[in-house]
Amino acid sequence: MKKVHFSQKQMSILLSILAILIAAVFLFPLYWIVVNSFKLDSEIFASVPTLWPKAFTLKAYQEQLSSLTITLKNSIIIAIGSMILSLCLSVPAAYGLARFKVKGMKLFILVFLITQMLPASLVLTPLFLIFSNLGILNTYLAPILSTATISIPFIVLMLRPGFLSMPKDLEDAARIDGCNVISAFLRVAIPIAKPTVITAACFSFVYAWNDLAYSMTFNTKESMRPMTSAIYTFMNQYGTKWNSIMAYGVLLILPCCIIFVTMQKHIVKGMTSGSVKG
Amino acid sequence: MRKRLALLMALAMMVGAMGACGGSGDSQTDKTTGTNAETKTEAGNKGSSGDKQEITFWHYMSEDKEGKFVNQAVEEFNNSQDEIYVTAQYLPREELMKQYTIGVVSGELPDCGMVDNPDHNSYASMGVFEDITDLYDAWDEASFLEGSINSCYYEGKLYGIPWGNNCLGLFYNKTMLDEAGIEVPTTWSELEAACEVLTTDSTKGLAISAIGNEEGTFQYMPWLLSSGGSVMDLTSDGSKESMTYLSGLIEKGYISKESVNWTQADAEKQFASGLAAMMINGPWQFSGLAEDAPDLEYGVAKVPKADDGTYASVLGGENIAICAGANIEASWKFLTWMTSEEKSQEICKSIGRFSPRADVDSQEMFSDDPLNSVFAEIMPDAQSRGPSPDWPEISAAIYTAQQEVFTGQKDVDTAMANAQAKIDEINAE
Amino acid sequence: MQSNKRARKELLIGYCFIIPAVVYMLLFIGYPIIYNWIISFQDVTAKTLGSSVRDIIGFNNYRAIFTNVTFRRALLNTFIYTVGCLVIQFSLGFLFAMFFTKKFKLSKPIRGFIIISWMLPVTVTALIFRFMFAEGNGIVNAILLNLGLISEPVGWLLQGGTAMLVLIIANSWVGIPFNMLLLTTGLNHIPEDIYEAASIDGATGIQKFFKITIPLLKPTIMSVLVLGFVLTFKVFDLVYVMTGGGPVDATEVLSTYSYKLSFQLFRFGEGAAVANVLFVCLFLVALVYLKTISKDEVI
Repeated sequence: MKKVHFSQKQMSILLSILAILIAAVFLFPLYWIVVNSFKLDSEIFASVPTLWPKAFTLKAYQEQLSSLTITLKNSIIIAIGSMILSLCLSVPAAYGLARFKVKGMKLFILVFLITQMLPASLVLTPLFLIFSNLGILNTYLAPILSTATISIPFIVLMLRPGFLSMPKDLEDAARIDGCNVISAFLRVAIPIAKPTVITAACFSFVYAWNDLAYSMTFNTKESMRPMTSAIYTFMNQYGTKWNSIMAYGVLLILPCCIIFVTMQKHIVKGMTSGSVKG
Repeated sequence: MRKRLALLMALAMMVGAMGACGGSGDSQTDKTTGTNAETKTEAGNKGSSGDKQEITFWHYMSEDKEGKFVNQAVEEFNNSQDEIYVTAQYLPREELMKQYTIGVVSGELPDCGMVDNPDHNSYASMGVFEDITDLYDAWDEASFLEGSINSCYYEGKLYGIPWGNNCLGLFYNKTMLDEAGIEVPTTWSELEAACEVLTTDSTKGLAISAIGNEEGTFQYMPWLLSSGGSVMDLTSDGSKESMTYLSGLIEKGYISKESVNWTQADAEKQFASGLAAMMINGPWQFSGLAEDAPDLEYGVAKVPKADDGTYASVLGGENIAICAGANIEASWKFLTWMTSEEKSQEICKSIGRFSPRADVDSQEMFSDDPLNSVFAEIMPDAQSRGPSPDWPEISAAIYTAQQEVFTGQKDVDTAMANAQAKIDEINAE
Repeated sequence: MQSNKRARKELLIGYCFIIPAVVYMLLFIGYPIIYNWIISFQDVTAKTLGSSVRDIIGFNNYRAIFTNVTFRRALLNTFIYTVGCLVIQFSLGFLFAMFFTKKFKLSKPIRGFIIISWMLPVTVTALIFRFMFAEGNGIVNAILLNLGLISEPVGWLLQGGTAMLVLIIANSWVGIPFNMLLLTTGLNHIPEDIYEAASIDGATGIQKFFKITIPLLKPTIMSVLVLGFVLTFKVFDLVYVMTGGGPVDATEVLSTYSYKLSFQLFRFGEGAAVANVLFVCLFLVALVYLKTISKDEVI
C-alpha cells in the first residue's frame, strides 16, 4: 500500500487554494454588500442584478457622513464602556469558576445561563423602569449597563472552558514563588490566556457596537444615538434604500474590522509565544 | 501589566464620568426627557431665561422628508411668543409607539405626541393621552371633519386632535398607458383589462402592498369598502368579492406575488422604476417619486370601484395629543396653534397631507394642482378605520387573511371565515 | 493547620472573583425575569397596563396561548429553526476550525475574513439576505437561473418552507465563524505534544480525533452547544427584520410572537407568558448542560 505524500509546500498551497475557495463562497454576501453600496438606486431595482456596478457612485456614503461625527462618538463611548465593564466583571468570574472549588459553582453557572434566556426586546420595559428609577435615562450609562448584560454571561461561559483547558502548572509555579492568588491571576493566567481574553474583548465590543434596541429605547435624545440608529433613515415608511443600507453596513463593520485586524496580531503572538511543554 | 491595568482603570473612570454627565452638555439635573406636571425651567444653551415653560413634542416625521417642515413650524411657534418653548424630537414610528407603551408603566412620556389615527384609540385606552374634552369644547375654533376627529374619541371623551390626513388613490404611468392605448381604468373590470395589456415580462400591471401589518390592511380597505364589504362582516358577499378579485389579479400575474412582503414605499419603488405600470398609493409619495423618478409622467385617479359598487378610499393620517402627566396648559396652546385654520393649511400643504379641518376647503386649495386635486376629491369619501381600541387586533385578522389568500395558503372563504371568527372573539371580550 | 486556613482564604478570594458578575446580572436581568413572570399571571392588556391594580388570573394567559394556533406554530418553528441552525453551524464551524488550524500560508488571514460575517449587525445581515433572496431581482435566483439549476425564480421568502430555510442559512452564515472561533481557541489550548506522543504510539488521524481532540475539547464543545442553543432559540432581530414572522406565520418564532403580542396587540400578559415558555425551554436545556459539568472539572 503506497500512500501518496504531498510535500509540505504542496500541501500548504493546496490548502491555501481550498481556503480561498471556501472564503469566496462564504463571503459572497459581504461582497454583495460592498458592491451594492456603490450602486445607484436605479441599478438596484433593475430586473437583472449586476455583479459589478455599471455606474459607480459614492452617494450612499456621502449621505451618512454628516451625522457621523455625533453618532460615531456615541458608538465608541458605548462600545468601549461596555467592553471594559464586561471584561472587568466576566474575566475574573470565568477564572474563578474554573480554578476554585466554590460551593455554588453550578448555581452560579445556572445564573449566567438563565440571564441570557430572555430576548433583549422583552427585557426593555423592566430595564427601562430600573434605569428610570436610577435616573440614568438619556445618559451613556444606560446603554453601557444594558449591553454589558448581554456580553457578561456569554463571556463567562465562553472563557471558563478556556481557563479549564489551560494547565495550571505555571500558576502553581508562580504561587510557589510567593505570588498570591490575585497576582497569579493577573500576571500569569491572563497573559497565557491572552488570545481568549482578547477574543472576549472583541465580542463584548462588537455586541455593544452593534446594539440598537437598548440604545434607542433608553436614550430618546437624538444627540445620544449611536451609529446603528441610522438604519431608521433608510428603512421607514418612505421606503427601503438598499444602497444606503449596504453603505451603512460597511461603515459599521469598518471599525470592528480595524480593531480585529490589529488584535489578530496579538492573538497570533499569544498562540506562538509557547504553551506549557512537557 | 500593572501599567495596562492602570490605563484601563483610567479609561473606565473617564467613560463613567462622561456617562454620568449625560454626554450632551445638558445640566446635571436634566436626567429624563419626560416632564412632570410642574413646569420646568432649563437654563443654558436654550438661550432663554427663567420664565419660559418648556414642553417636548415627539413625532415620527423624518428630518429629511416632512420632518424639516415640522421643525420649521415648531420654530415659528417658539419665535411667535415668549411663554412656551417647544422642543421637537423625531423618533422612528415604531420606536415612538414603544415609548408610549413603556411610558404608561414608567411615567416617562413627552408633553405632546403624534400617533397614527387608527392606533389612537388603543393608546388612549392605555392611558397614554390626556382627556381634553373640556378644553376642546371650550375652543372657539374647533372645527374638524367628522371622520378625522372621530378617531380621537374614546368612550365618549376626546384624547387628541387630528393633524393631517391622506387617502389612497390609483397612480398610473401615463407613458405606458398611452403606448398601450388604454384609458385610465375606473372600474374593476376595466382595471383587470388594463392590467392584462400592461403586464409584460418585465412589468406588472399593478403594484400594491399586502404586507403583514397595518399597511396591508390600509391598502385593502378601499377594495373592501367599494364592493360593499365591511370590517364588521368579512364573510358577506361584498367582502369576499373584494378578496377574490385581488387574489385573482395575483394569480393572473398582474400583481406581483412579492406584494405580501412590500410596504407602500416598496410599491412606490416598483412604480418609479417602471416595474409596475400602476400602483395604489397616497399623496405622501409625491416627493419620493420626484426624487426617484423625476422624469416619470404619471397621473392620479380614484381607486377603481367594484363594477356594481361605489368609489371608496381609506382615511390615513396622524393625530397629535397631549400625554398623561404633561404640562396641559402649555401643550394645549401649542396644539391649538398647530391645528389652527391658518397653520393647519400651511403645515399640511408642506408635508403632503390634507387638512382635517372642516373650514379648510382642500379642493379649492389644490384646484390648480392636477395631482393633489384628485386626492382632495377623494378625501370626503375616505372612510376611517375603526375607531376602536381593538383595532390592532382587528387589523391583524384582516391582513392575515389577505396574506393567507395571496400566498395560496387558504381559499377566500376559509380565510375570511377565520378572520371573522377572530374579530367576533375580540368584540366579545 | 496553616494549609486549611490558607485553603479557606483562597476559597473566599475565589468567591470574590465570581460574585460581582453574578450580582450584576441578578440585579439587571433578575428583575426583568421576575417582572415577566408576575405579568404572565395577571390580566395585563391595554386597559390595565397603567393601573396599579391588575387581576391575577392564574394560568389563564398560558391557557390562552397554548390553545392559539399561532403560538403552537411559533413553538414548533423555534425548535426547527434552532436545531437546524445548530446542526449546520456546529458541524461546519468545527470543520472550519480544524481546517484553519492547519498550518498553511493563508490560514490566519482568511480565518480573519470569515469572522467578519459575525461582526455585521444582525439587522444588516437580515436585510442583505432578504435582498439576495428576493424573488424578482435577487442575486440568488439570478445565479441559479444562469447555472440552469432552476427554471423559474423561486419565491424564497414567499413560502413558509423556503423562508425558514433562508433564515437558517442566514443565521448559520453568522454562526459558523462564531462556532469556529470558539472551537479554535479551545483547539489551541491542546498542546501539540499530546498529538506527537500519540503519533509515536501509532495512532491514526481518526483515532487522534476521537480519543484526544474530542475528550479534551469536551468542555468547550458543551459550552459552544449550549450557548449556541440559547442564543439561537431566542432569535429576534434576524426573523423580525427578514420576514417579520411571515409569510403569515410560517416563520413566527417565540420571541417575535411575544413581541407582537405585547407591543402590537397590547396583550401584555400573554406576551409575557410566551416569553416564559421560551425561558422554560431554555432552562431545561441549561439543566441538561449542568449535568454534563462534573464537579471535578475544576483544576
